[in-house]
Amino acid sequence: MTSPIILTQALSRDFKETRAVDALDLSIQPGELFGLVGPDGAGKTTTLRILAGLLDITEGSGSVAGHDLSEQPEAVKPKIGYMAQRFSMYGELSVHENLLFFADLFDVPRAEMAERTSRLLAFAGLTAFTGRRADHLSGGMQKKLALACTLIHQPEILLLDEPTTGVDPVSRREFWHILSELHAGGTTILVSTPYMDEADRCSMVGLMYAGRLIECAPPARIRAKIEGEMIEILPHDWQAAQDLLRTLPGVFEVQTYGESLHVLVDKAKKRLPKIKKAFRKNKLTYNGLRPAPLRMEEAFISLIRDLEE
Amino acid sequence: MSFRHLWAVTRKEIQHILRDRATLILVLLTPTAMLLIFAYSLTVELQHIPIAVLDYDRGATSRDFVQQITAGDDLDLYAQVASEDEIEDLLMRGEIKAALIIHPDFSRDLLALRGMPLQIIIDGTEPESGGFAVDHISWRAEKFINTALSDQLQTMGLALDTLQPLDLRVRTWFNPSLKPRNDVIPGMISIMLGFPALSVALTLAHEREHGTMEQLMATPITRTELLLGKMLPYIFVGLVNVVLIPLFAIAWFHISFNGSFLLFFALSAVFLFSILGVGIVIGVFIRTQAAALALSFLVIFFPGFFMTGIFFPISSMPELVRMESLFLPGTHYAIITRGVFLPGVGLDILWPYTVMMFGLGVVFVGIAALFFRKKLG
Ligand SMILES: Nc1ncnc2c1ncn2[C@@H]1O[C@H](COP(=O)(O)OP(=O)(O)O)[C@@H](O)[C@H]1O
Ligand SMILES: [Mg+2]
Repeated sequence: MTSPIILTQALSRDFKETRAVDALDLSIQPGELFGLVGPDGAGKTTTLRILAGLLDITEGSGSVAGHDLSEQPEAVKPKIGYMAQRFSMYGELSVHENLLFFADLFDVPRAEMAERTSRLLAFAGLTAFTGRRADHLSGGMQKKLALACTLIHQPEILLLDEPTTGVDPVSRREFWHILSELHAGGTTILVSTPYMDEADRCSMVGLMYAGRLIECAPPARIRAKIEGEMIEILPHDWQAAQDLLRTLPGVFEVQTYGESLHVLVDKAKKRLPKIKKAFRKNKLTYNGLRPAPLRMEEAFISLIRDLEE
Repeated sequence: MSFRHLWAVTRKEIQHILRDRATLILVLLTPTAMLLIFAYSLTVELQHIPIAVLDYDRGATSRDFVQQITAGDDLDLYAQVASEDEIEDLLMRGEIKAALIIHPDFSRDLLALRGMPLQIIIDGTEPESGGFAVDHISWRAEKFINTALSDQLQTMGLALDTLQPLDLRVRTWFNPSLKPRNDVIPGMISIMLGFPALSVALTLAHEREHGTMEQLMATPITRTELLLGKMLPYIFVGLVNVVLIPLFAIAWFHISFNGSFLLFFALSAVFLFSILGVGIVIGVFIRTQAAALALSFLVIFFPGFFMTGIFFPISSMPELVRMESLFLPGTHYAIITRGVFLPGVGLDILWPYTVMMFGLGVVFVGIAALFFRKKLG
């Protein structure tokens, strides 16, 4: 085993009273496609910002590409491509001007600029939009532009913060296709996401919750630990529906989620008709009843309950 | 320092200025528009001030003089009176704001280059209009002397610049603490050039608010490259204003520009560097555009108005404020602009103020670079 390219030891970061990252031990090997999965507020952004040298460490230590983050944060920067969670390109600049801007800041050899920009534009599917202002791009294209800009200096390490959040499903798939290609090319990628299904595309997955890494394993092993599927119901009598659901077989958990109930079951296909029948029998009505993707919040709550038991 | 990095930031910023209409208006048009508004709000009310004249001389020269003094829009001849009692009466009734008494030996003394025996009485209850009457009379008196005496001087074989001491002597006859708009507008240029400084403060806050600062901090750019790269475009923009504002002041307000324009341009560039230094310090410490705007008004515009001696003489300020005003680039620049515009003073006199401005600029940029960290939160 080679030495890790990203390494943190008991890394913590406080914001006033909040401990956003709590004694994190992360070890990522070169060439890994590492998915940092966790619900909102888990500390993913804070972790990535620390690794990009953008936030001070409160306790513990971290190093990226062999440089200590507290001692030499600037030495890390040429080696990484960091993509923030928010869109952070210059809206008034065109796609091409944004690329040139970052090419200049990363000292991309001038002789290679033209070739690299046109290759990245093609790679990101933006060739047709070269002259368009960045703030006139769709959400998915903006994410691809941001990725292209982080790739302009061919970094060894990519730190991508929720690159597919708020992106349509087609763009999401395209985006992951690009990441797989980069992974195949040998780039180390650390990508955060709140979607469990994206974890399956990674070579390694870290589950983050409340600032802690609660699990770190290849995706298949993680998935095996999170059982169950989700059904979403919008009942009229909310309390009665909840009481009824809890008595049904195959139901692990009922959680309230805004106006609706999220029901964690063993197999959604099998349980859906049974729930409908039970509602009819008890004269309970509802507005919607459908299988829903297992959100990380629910998956985590169930996982943490399992861990606690 | 990498010039490639510097230029990348500068180029990006110029593209931003040119494409963002709000920024473009703020930096290019606001200064001139504000100059117009301020200049008018300060002068509009003070036109057509009624005055009375008591002419003891009754010569051709004094008649000419009275005619010239009341020729413009500033002063209206309300009445020619015969006694000081009449003046008192008119003043008491508020029909005139000031009165001009021309002494019997006015023409004789004037032509003998012995000065200009005049007396001005103003309405103490309305010092503003009275004061402006004094200023306008003194300003027109100077012009009168210059034209009336130039023939005289030539026949006496004196050079025209011997007029200068005479000018000064005339001034001391009058109330020197109030300034005519001739003097106010050049001084106000320093305030107008606060707008590019405000823009610099805003642009840094803008980058923080829009998240682009985060991306920028993740690149190998150094702090100095970033800060200087941000300042340069606004120095360019400021220099455009440095050309526009005097042109406007000359064309619109008929203000005389007696000095070297090149010198004015160069010293204005130094001023821009130092006032932008203030803007960049604000931008480094303040996170939001709203807060940056508020602080800029407090630190750039408010002292520009009240502490740089443009409207209120520094000599009449408390000691502490006087000390503080030395640390404001605008104090020095106000002296420079007035010097270059009006008497046409050169670098031989203005260099200490230039050095002070440059020094302050270096200090401000130094503070900004020292305290700016490439970190969030
Ligand atoms: N700049 C900040 N100031 C204060 N609290 C913060 C800041 N950034 C993050 N936090 C807090 O730290 C915790 C982790 O946030 P974050 O790292 O953004 O999580 P994630 O990216 O997984 O949603 C949250 O409770 C959040 O409110
Ligand atoms: Mg986040």
